[in-house]
Amino acid sequence: MPSTRATGKRGASRGAPLLRLRVGFVLIAIVLSFFGARLVQLQGMDPRSYAAMAAAEGSARLTLEAERGDILDRNGVPLADSIRGKMVIADPVLTAGKAPELARLLSDRLSIDYFKTLSALRGRKTGSRYEYVARRVPSTLAGDTLDALDEAGFEGISLEDDPIRDYPAGDVAANLIGYMGTDEPLGGFERTFDKQLAGVDGLATWQSTSGKGVRIPLRESTLKEPQDGTPLHTTIDRDLQWFTGKVLAQAVRQYRAESASAVVLDSRTGETLALVDVPTFDANDPTAPGVKKSDRGSRAMSDTYEPGSVEKVLTVASLIDAGKAFPRQKFKVPPSLARQDRVIGDWFDHGMIKLTLAGIIAKSSNIGTVLAADAFSPPQLVAYLQRFGLGQKTNVGVSGETQGILTPGDVMTSQTKDRVAFGQSLSVNVLQMAAAVNTIANAGVRVSPSLISGTAVTDEGLTVGTDTTTRTRVVSKEAARGTAKMMEKVVDPEDGVAPAAAVPGYLVAGKTGTAQRVEAECGCYDGSTTVSFGGFAPADDARFTVYVVVHAPGVDGGGGSIAGPVFSRIMGYVLGRYGVEPTNGTPSRLPVEW
Amino acid sequence: MSSPALQPRTRVTRLAQEAVDKARLSVVPRVRTRAPRVPFVTLVSLVLVGGIVGLLLFNTSMQQASFAASSLQSEADTLAAREQTLRMELDELRNPQRVAQQAQSMGMVIPAAPVFLDLKTGKTTGVRTPSTPDDALQLLPPAPPKPAVLAPPPTVVEVPADTTTDPTATDPTTDPTTEAPADTQATDQATDQATEQGSTTAKPNKQDRKNRNR
Repeated sequence: MPSTRATGKRGASRGAPLLRLRVGFVLIAIVLSFFGARLVQLQGMDPRSYAAMAAAEGSARLTLEAERGDILDRNGVPLADSIRGKMVIADPVLTAGKAPELARLLSDRLSIDYFKTLSALRGRKTGSRYEYVARRVPSTLAGDTLDALDEAGFEGISLEDDPIRDYPAGDVAANLIGYMGTDEPLGGFERTFDKQLAGVDGLATWQSTSGKGVRIPLRESTLKEPQDGTPLHTTIDRDLQWFTGKVLAQAVRQYRAESASAVVLDSRTGETLALVDVPTFDANDPTAPGVKKSDRGSRAMSDTYEPGSVEKVLTVASLIDAGKAFPRQKFKVPPSLARQDRVIGDWFDHGMIKLTLAGIIAKSSNIGTVLAADAFSPPQLVAYLQRFGLGQKTNVGVSGETQGILTPGDVMTSQTKDRVAFGQSLSVNVLQMAAAVNTIANAGVRVSPSLISGTAVTDEGLTVGTDTTTRTRVVSKEAARGTAKMMEKVVDPEDGVAPAAAVPGYLVAGKTGTAQRVEAECGCYDGSTTVSFGGFAPADDARFTVYVVVHAPGVDGGGGSIAGPVFSRIMGYVLGRYGVEPTNGTPSRLPVEW
Repeated sequence: MSSPALQPRTRVTRLAQEAVDKARLSVVPRVRTRAPRVPFVTLVSLVLVGGIVGLLLFNTSMQQASFAASSLQSEADTLAAREQTLRMELDELRNPQRVAQQAQSMGMVIPAAPVFLDLKTGKTTGVRTPSTPDDALQLLPPAPPKPAVLAPPPTVVEVPADTTTDPTATDPTTDPTTEAPADTQATDQATDQATEQGSTTAKPNKQDRKNRNR
């Protein structure tokens, strides 16, 4: 070091600092050029991926699952509800080493298959770091299991949200509410109203300490709250639906039938209290062995059949309304009636009998109905039937509904009209027909049926529900009352064909139906029958309309002997359940013969 | 400088000269008011230290609150899950199927038609119909038939009274005689249980065999 500060520094060693400075600058330039190169690499080449990597480091991201809306019955009892569940995820990199021990613990606790668990823990694909071990595990069980794993010192198992759809009543109304697949709805209301039920998932992001996911305060975090799905209120009465299903299932077994459907309508409001299909399935386990694909939908809505004699009440009510017939009108009914293309016969052998119009209904005479309907031209009859709702969808919110088949009046031949008059050569679905019979019950005013309480919009944009109910007068009050009086005769123990359909203590009006079934493959009658019974009670102030249809029973019998007892049982239950007392009205005194 | 102005005039000139002499400018040493440094430094240090410590404490408490929040959140989640599980159990208990099975096992039957009791008058309306066990609903479908492997046809062993066709009757002739009595006794017991009149048919059988053994 130079001893003199002022002069010595400036003079003697002037070269050295310059050199040092230069060397220093060069060094700095080298370092800076490295920085510059790196900067160009980061910002110029692929800036986004680096930004994303930086953001991902230490940031947590969680999808907040929206809770799926419940499907409720008319009393708010859940037919389908959502509960929190978890999926159990394994990271094979961490779990493969101790796979057997882990698999044993997991399969014991979660009641899952040991070998599937084992393969998940070892990784189904090499290098995989995300394997499902179990899905839809109740939260409490999953949490307890994870605690047990932590205690035992195992690593690599984590939980994620995975809501569970639960159907508390199993098979009750399963055909209507549908069921969920692994991630999406696969049928029924679940699918038709998916937008409403699903809601919108939310998202939360935050900077977290490693591992535990604890939020670092004052760091960037965002939260988008999930919007839970809106519950769907149906008009179904769960207990009644269950009872109807049990009665119907018993009948199907007893009569070895192929399938059956039943509807219970509130006569005044058109609300569907029960809509049952048998065979059905457990919505919690839709793929159980023995469940056919066709069992998972609603046959009552999607299948057509010929209604048979139940349709006669519509013909007769229309005739009375048009002033072309009256209940005591006298008819001579021959043993058979030759019409152009074929001979029309009755279900029972008889000679020339003298029946009133009431007698024709009570005894369910095809020939008598055809004779009475001769007063109508085909367009006139069809116009009435259309106003009863035949040939049009009920649009209650069940997708895949059939509209049935009703030949337009202007192209209908008189032979077809003859058969339509007693319920053949036209096809309906069960709810359609029930609503038509309900028109008689509701004093001639057709109330459009509904399955949804209030309003709901289907995913296709159709607004349905009780708020959209329409009321249209189809026949006059007098015509409806007259028809109801005639229908009372059907359950008369002496004059009628269906005394088994009576409900002790109540005035019941109804009509049997026995129709030949059309085989879907050949499009011809295959010899099997569809038997049905539709009616309402109390007959003089109807509260409920019940319609029962049994397809292809394996025993001989008609609507009165097979569907009648089912009707009686359901009607007796629903009257008691809703506390409808007997009206003590006077029974019908219409003569059946003259 | 004000004091010379108060002097008598006689001395003014001299004083002026003196003043002129003195007026020669010279560097006045800067007056340094040396404020004490210590309090200021202390204050700044205190503010700094206080700020840092405060910030640290604030951060710590925030962190602590965050931990507390996340543990409370997980507790809330657990409780909500528990509530839902219990609700699900409740729904299962309220399942009409379960209630009906319970009621039916207690001997209750859903009636065919309701009867109303007026509590004021004590009178009933409606037709009273007896509800018998026949009215009971079949709550469960019949068990599915077992596959043939699990339900083999029952092996029927006929034990006829007639000795000539009895396969066991011929056994004693080939078997050692010591086993024969036990064998016949066993078959006899079986026939006794199987048929009401076993004693009458079995006895001659037994005697026959004994005769044969002899």
